[in-house]
Amino acid sequence: MKKTLEVMGQVCPFPLIEAKKEIEDIGSGDELVINFDCTQATESIPRWAAEEGHTITNYEQLSDAAWTITVQKNSLV
Amino acid sequence: MIQMLITGLICGILLGFVMQRGRFCLTGGFRDMYIAKDNRMFYALLIAIAVQSVGVFALIQFGVFEFSAGAFPWLAVIVGSFIFGIGIVLAGGCATGTWYRAGEGLLGSWIALFGYMAMSAIMKSGPLMPVNTSIQSVQLGSNSISETTGIPTWIFIVVLVTIVAAIVIRELKKPKVFIPQMKPKRTGLSHLLFEKRWHPFFTATLVGIIAILAWPLSVATGRIGGLGITTPSANILQFLVTGDQTLINWGVFLVLGIFLGSFIAAKASREFRFRMPDAKTGITSFIGGNVMGFGASLAGGCSIGNGLVMTAMMTWQGWVALLFMILGTWTASYFVFVRPRIKKTVASATTVTTA
Repeated sequence: MKKTLEVMGQVCPFPLIEAKKEIEDIGSGDELVINFDCTQATESIPRWAAEEGHTITNYEQLSDAAWTITVQKNSLV
Repeated sequence: MIQMLITGLICGILLGFVMQRGRFCLTGGFRDMYIAKDNRMFYALLIAIAVQSVGVFALIQFGVFEFSAGAFPWLAVIVGSFIFGIGIVLAGGCATGTWYRAGEGLLGSWIALFGYMAMSAIMKSGPLMPVNTSIQSVQLGSNSISETTGIPTWIFIVVLVTIVAAIVIRELKKPKVFIPQMKPKRTGLSHLLFEKRWHPFFTATLVGIIAILAWPLSVATGRIGGLGITTPSANILQFLVTGDQTLINWGVFLVLGIFLGSFIAAKASREFRFRMPDAKTGITSFIGGNVMGFGASLAGGCSIGNGLVMTAMMTWQGWVALLFMILGTWTASYFVFVRPRIKKTVASATTVTTA
């Protein structure tokens, strides 16, 4: 299952805070697609995902100052 | 004038560029010490302070310029820094952070910046000047830690450098988590400058070097000081409304340079776009900018002026300001980030029980 979180226009640290909230509501193995435009989140979201043991299945820049990242919830939780 | 324009702009462009590419955000750093138990950015700041301290005191030793710390306006520093700490959380970035985010095209930061400049001018030459000067007149002896304690400054520098070196070694020895990155699309210099993630400690070292450079460049134009954001930001607005050219100094070109440097960095790395905040964020940014301007004017400096420069100069003002700035950031973070989360958890727990 895939769920999308639209946090375009939100400033840091809100994209990360929203992502942490959303990932609690999805099952392990499910994916969360996060679309964001906060520059600092290009650093903080992958770092959080890596430290929590989630897998990043897609990470790319969509256009000027716009990114998408897909985090697959780790199966241990 | 030409020299001021060129050296001030260059120093600012370098700083804006490095901060944008290195994601050097002190607000985020102070906030994450509390909400994410992550001290990386704070350690990075300590590195920048130590680098600058060694460099600037070496210049003073060689007689390049003289520095006098003056008296310590303790009440204004404590109250002002705490208020400043609250303001930077609301504004979504400290004074410098707001300048460089404005360069990334974030219109919320433009709003915060306007509030910050306006309130700083109101505090420094406007109707709130009497409040500002009366609180600042509560002073204690000397601002220099060395003069008060009778211990030579270089001993404090050695202690600081030792602590910072120990932290860096410990941090770099920690097992690394693999952090996925986007596929690189560029190579060579273009990749290093406009794409690659910079390690915060590397960025901090560059910030420290730029902070050293700022001293002789600024002194050469007659302004005895290093990096500074608040007074120059106020000066821009004061000049625009009075036309008084004496308000234009090295610092004014420095802050304009930060904006420009960040714009160049963001544009070249495809991170520039005009981004409009929603009404709620816009209002919070405006309030935050004003609170930040009030606090920084009272404290005699922001996270750069006090937190990076006055700390490196081994003054009470710098270190006391840093402590209270962090406490202010944590207080605001509790109300903005932590409490709403606790409330939500309690609310959902209640729902479960009733169901």
